[in-house]
Amino acid sequence: MVLDDLGTSLRSSLDKLQGKTRLDEDDVEEIVKEIQRSLLSADVDVSLVMELSSSIESRALEEEPPGGTTARDHVLKIVYEEMVALVGDSTELPLENQTILLAGLQGSGKTTSAAKMAWWFSKKGLRPAVIQTDTFRPGAYDQAKQMCERAEVDFYGDPDGDDPVEIAREGLEATADADVHIVDTAGRHALEDDLIAEIEEIEGVVDPDRSLLVLDAAIGQGAKEQAKQFESSIGIEGVVITKLDGTAKGGGALTAVNETGSSIAFLGTGETVQDIERFEPSGFISRLLGM
Amino acid sequence: IIEEEDLEDPLWDLEMALLESDVEMSVAERILETVRETMLGESRKQVETTGELVEAALHDALLDVIAVGQFDFEERIAEAEKPVTIVFTGVNGVGKTTTIAKLSEWLAERGYSSVLANGDTYRAGANEQIGEHADRLDRQLISHDQGGDPAAVIYDGIEYAQANDIDVVLGDTAGRLHTSDDLMAQLEKIDRVVDPDMTLFVDEAVAGQDAVNRAKEFNEAAAIDGAVLTKADADSSGGAAISIAYVTGKPILFLGTGQGYDDITRFDPEALVDSLLGKE
Ligand SMILES: Nc1nc2c(ncn2[C@@H]2O[C@H](COP(=O)(O)OP(=O)(O)OP(=O)(O)O)[C@@H](O)[C@H]2O)c(=O)[nH]1
Ligand SMILES: Nc1nc2c(ncn2[C@@H]2O[C@H](COP(=O)(O)OP(=O)(O)OP(=O)(O)O)[C@@H](O)[C@H]2O)c(=O)[nH]1
Ligand SMILES: [K+]
Ligand SMILES: [Mg+2]
Ligand SMILES: [Mg+2]
Repeated sequence: MVLDDLGTSLRSSLDKLQGKTRLDEDDVEEIVKEIQRSLLSADVDVSLVMELSSSIESRALEEEPPGGTTARDHVLKIVYEEMVALVGDSTELPLENQTILLAGLQGSGKTTSAAKMAWWFSKKGLRPAVIQTDTFRPGAYDQAKQMCERAEVDFYGDPDGDDPVEIAREGLEATADADVHIVDTAGRHALEDDLIAEIEEIEGVVDPDRSLLVLDAAIGQGAKEQAKQFESSIGIEGVVITKLDGTAKGGGALTAVNETGSSIAFLGTGETVQDIERFEPSGFISRLLGM
Repeated sequence: IIEEEDLEDPLWDLEMALLESDVEMSVAERILETVRETMLGESRKQVETTGELVEAALHDALLDVIAVGQFDFEERIAEAEKPVTIVFTGVNGVGKTTTIAKLSEWLAERGYSSVLANGDTYRAGANEQIGEHADRLDRQLISHDQGGDPAAVIYDGIEYAQANDIDVVLGDTAGRLHTSDDLMAQLEKIDRVVDPDMTLFVDEAVAGQDAVNRAKEFNEAAAIDGAVLTKADADSSGGAAISIAYVTGKPILFLGTGQGYDDITRFDPEALVDSLLGKE
């Protein structure tokens, strides 16, 4: 099971339970403290950590371990269940025609992820196209175009255009032959009202089957505010976590999933178009708890 | 007299507050440890609560960390032999290239000419991105084709500046994660070959706990002289500044506050501490 490679400090506090069949309050308190530490250093939202750890604590104290289960295994199971309940399964992505809208903070990895996802769908036998609506960032058109060449997928953009909504509309028409439309957008954050209004307009025209929030694995406590804003303006059906090839734990994604009532769709693990994986809960949970 | 147990609750509250502001956990704990040590055995006046005293001590401890090594960037440029070469480092997407464009304008407003040298010979669209900034600002850009040697590009930038009496060379580098041994070795090589007058580490105000790891690794690969914290407009807390200053012992020099060329301001340590302690 995933929790076999729990963080060393967490594991050593669990090891103390070895052989015990009953937990006293001190045991539970110590373990809960370690879990809090792990989640907080993984950038999970502070109030969410407190909620999670209090439900782990009360379950650990109240529930009888089933016969033959050691106290240690019992706690492990509770921790795992609580985490799984929160993070859920990978966002469902049927292999059929669909439109996906990408949104997120400046520099979070949207353009790179658009090309990666297109590559991923093409490997599944579908024909994807990326539509670049970012008219703001210098070089955005060239970047997306070159990434799509590397992914060997269709691309639409307008280097001279200045209206993202218009480009989105034209792009969907121009790539009508494609099965999967992935619409990239310029970076923006929760406090930029004009840009939030702009993405609402883009969303209106694109009418996506799902909107995905692209989050840098290293984002801190701000993840909550960002996720809340994107959820209320365009509705978020899934989260893409990027830059997981670094040391950041990606706890902001847990916060975002909690805020948006969604799930995690993809993980980005590098700068090339192949560096993409579908989300898988157990590996992510063990990373959060500090492997 | 303040005893151990009087401190427990206020220190816990402050630790949570620091974590909510994205100060890295071990950094927060070490700062609170100095607060604990200064407080223990202190006597308290009747008018003060332990909480108030602890907060005052934390204010001083944070300011100690964040005010480390502050220097006048403009003065440093003014006094240095020209051209002054500045290389910008940092992980992917934090705002290095945009910061270079902003600083080029910041320097121009103060009477210094600059040339941009694109040491990012890797990322898709990197030449086009910095090229468009150079066009808009009417600056010279030195660039090579994708796949070229980053150190060579910046070196060409220095030669161009020497030949054309340009004051400052702004050398960009490709974003890289500190976990990539190859790319970190390449950064060391750039640092060795170019031997810049200043290396500025760029990170973003929205960064969380990982800010400590990367600041440390980048500082080890190519010793930094200071840092720039971008995207401060997206986040009001910015505890990452504390983490970076603490692990590198180097000052935060500028804040990026938006995507426009004017959106850069001198970093003010006091203002950051006040905002961390909720006194905006
Ligand atoms: N190492 C690593 N780098 C990544 C990953 N995803 C994206 N990047 C890099 O992160 C940087 C930013 O990526 P972009 O795709 O330009 O991000 P964006 O969200 O489109 O940025 P804006 O359009 O400016 O908002 C680039 O240097 C990418 O190569 C990843 O999973 N791992
Ligand atoms: N809101 C805001 N956005 C910023 C700021 N600085 C940079 N950006 C945006 O962040 C995104 C990434 O900026 P870049 O300058 O390309 O970052 P970089 O570090 O050069 O990225 P790579 O070269 O891919 O590693 C762009 O969309 C910028 O416009 C800032 O201070 N505030
Ligand atoms: K939702
Ligand atoms: Mg982009
Ligand atoms: Mg760049």
